[in-house]
Amino acid sequence: MSDPNGNSTGTADSRAMNRRSFLRTSAVLTTGMAALAASLAPLMELDDFTSAERFMQKYYKELTPGEMARVLKRIEGEVERQYGIRPHVRDLKPMDGVEFVYALNLTRCIGCRKCVHACVAENNQSRNPEIQYIRVLKMPHGSIDVEKAQHNYAPESVPEKGFFYMPVQCQQCKNPPCVKVCPVHATWQESDGITVIDYDWCIGCRYCAAACPYWARHFNFTKPTIPKDKVNPDMAYLGNRPRRQGVMEKCHFCIQRTRAGRYPACLEVCPTGARKFGNILDPNSEVSYILRTKRVFIQLKEELGTSPRFFYYFDV
Amino acid sequence: MKNSHGTNAALTGLSFLFSALAAAFLLNLWGRPVPPEPIPPADPVFTNTATARVSGAELIRTGGDASGLDCYACHDKSKPVQLHFDEHKKLVLPEEHQDLVMGHGRHNRNNNCFNCHDEANLELLQTRDGRELKLVESTPLCGSCHGPTYRDWEAGAHGRPSGYWNQKLGPVKREDCVSCHDPHSPAFPSRAPAPGPHPLHPAARAASGSEGGH
Repeated sequence: MSDPNGNSTGTADSRAMNRRSFLRTSAVLTTGMAALAASLAPLMELDDFTSAERFMQKYYKELTPGEMARVLKRIEGEVERQYGIRPHVRDLKPMDGVEFVYALNLTRCIGCRKCVHACVAENNQSRNPEIQYIRVLKMPHGSIDVEKAQHNYAPESVPEKGFFYMPVQCQQCKNPPCVKVCPVHATWQESDGITVIDYDWCIGCRYCAAACPYWARHFNFTKPTIPKDKVNPDMAYLGNRPRRQGVMEKCHFCIQRTRAGRYPACLEVCPTGARKFGNILDPNSEVSYILRTKRVFIQLKEELGTSPRFFYYFDV
Repeated sequence: MKNSHGTNAALTGLSFLFSALAAAFLLNLWGRPVPPEPIPPADPVFTNTATARVSGAELIRTGGDASGLDCYACHDKSKPVQLHFDEHKKLVLPEEHQDLVMGHGRHNRNNNCFNCHDEANLELLQTRDGRELKLVESTPLCGSCHGPTYRDWEAGAHGRPSGYWNQKLGPVKREDCVSCHDPHSPAFPSRAPAPGPHPLHPAARAASGSEGGH
C-alpha cells in the first residue's frame, strides 16, 4: 500500500480475490450452474433411455437360446416395471411346412372397422397417439382406385350405398421393398412369410416406411401410451411386446397367436367372416380352397412386383 | 487485468446463454412434446368377438331362455296351422309372430312358413326334398337352396371361424348360418362403424371428418 510506485497494489488487487469480485464471480457461477441444470432438464424425461443390457444385446439371429431366455426375462421385467403386469413373452419360431396367406372377401366387408380395434387391443399399439395397423379404405363402386379412397368416413351406419370397403394392412410381400432398404437388417422375412421387425435393433431411420407402397409401417414418433389395464400380456419378441419411442412397427399377422396355431385377432372379430387366414402349403386349408375355387383376385398394387401374400377376392 | 475481465465476461456470457436456454425450455420455444389431446378409448363392443346374433339353436345349446321356440306352448298339435294371405298374396303374420321380419328372398317369393318349417310337426324343419331336420340342425336346410354358399361354408371359406387354424394345436369353432343370419331376414344388417383414425396433429384432428385422402 505504501509502495511509492503504486504499481504492485493495483496488480495485487486484480489478481487476488477481494470481497466484491468474489461475490460477483460466485453469483455468476451459481446462476450459470442453475441455468445449466435447468437447460439440461429435458434429459430427465428420457426415463426410457436404453439400459446397458439392451444396448449390449446381440442381433436377434445371433442370439443363443440361453441369451434369448435372458433377453425375454429382461423384457418381462421392463414391461412389469412400466405397466405393472407380468407378461408372458415368448420367442416363437416359424413352423416347418407353413406359409401364411391372408384372403379378404371384398364382397363381404362392410367397413365396420372392428378389425382395426381388435388389432390395437391384441397388439399393444399406442392409443394416443393412435397407431393402427389396419386402414379401412372406402371407395366408390366401379374400380379399385386408392386415389379416390377415404379412410376417415363416419356415417351413421355401414355399408353405405355405392361404396365398398378395403381394409389395408401389411401385405407380407414375397418381395418386400421395406426389407431391402433397412440399413441395419432390423427387419426381415421369415420362412413362414411374415416380415418381422426386431424393435431392439431398429434405429428409427424410417427408410422402410418410405419404401412400403401400402402405408403399412407405423413409426413411434412419440412415446407410445397404453392404459395399464389394456395391456395384452400374451407377447412375442417379434410381435406385440410394447415398443419404445423411435422404432417402427407394423402388422405381423399376430405372430404371438398364429405361430401358436390360432387365428389372428382381426379375423376372429370380423362380424361378416370376410377375413380368411391359413397355411397355403396345406391343400385342405381355407385359403387354399379360396385360391383354388374363387376367380377374381386382387393383389394390391400388383404392378409393383411386391407379390403380396394378402389376397383380396370376390364371391364369384 | 485483461485475463480477469475476459474470464468474467465469458462467465457472464455463459450464464446468460444458459439462462436463455432454461427460459427457452421452460417456455417450450422449440416444441418439447406437449401432452397430446385425449382420445376416447374404443367402445368394447368393437373388440367383442361375438357373432352378429344369438340363434335359437345357440340358446338351446347353452341353456338360455328358449321358451320362444316351444311351438306347442301355443299351437295345438291336432290342429293344422292355417296361413293367411292378403290381396297381394303376401303372408299375414298373426299377432303372436309380429316380431318376425319376413325378408327372405326378393319380390316376396319366399312367402310361406312351410317352405322351411314342417307343417306336420312345428318343432321340425323340412327341406324341399323331404328331409326332416331338428331346429338346431338348420344348416343343411339352408344348404338345400344355397348350394355354392354351403359348399364354401363346408370348406371353411364362408363364415367366421374362431380358435385354431392348425387343428393339431387346438380346436376350431365354426358357426352355423343362423349364428349370423336371421333365417327370416338373412341379409346382413348394417351397423354403426367404429371410430376412424385420429390424426397425430391436433389441427388435422380438428379438421378431419368428412375429408378424404389417405
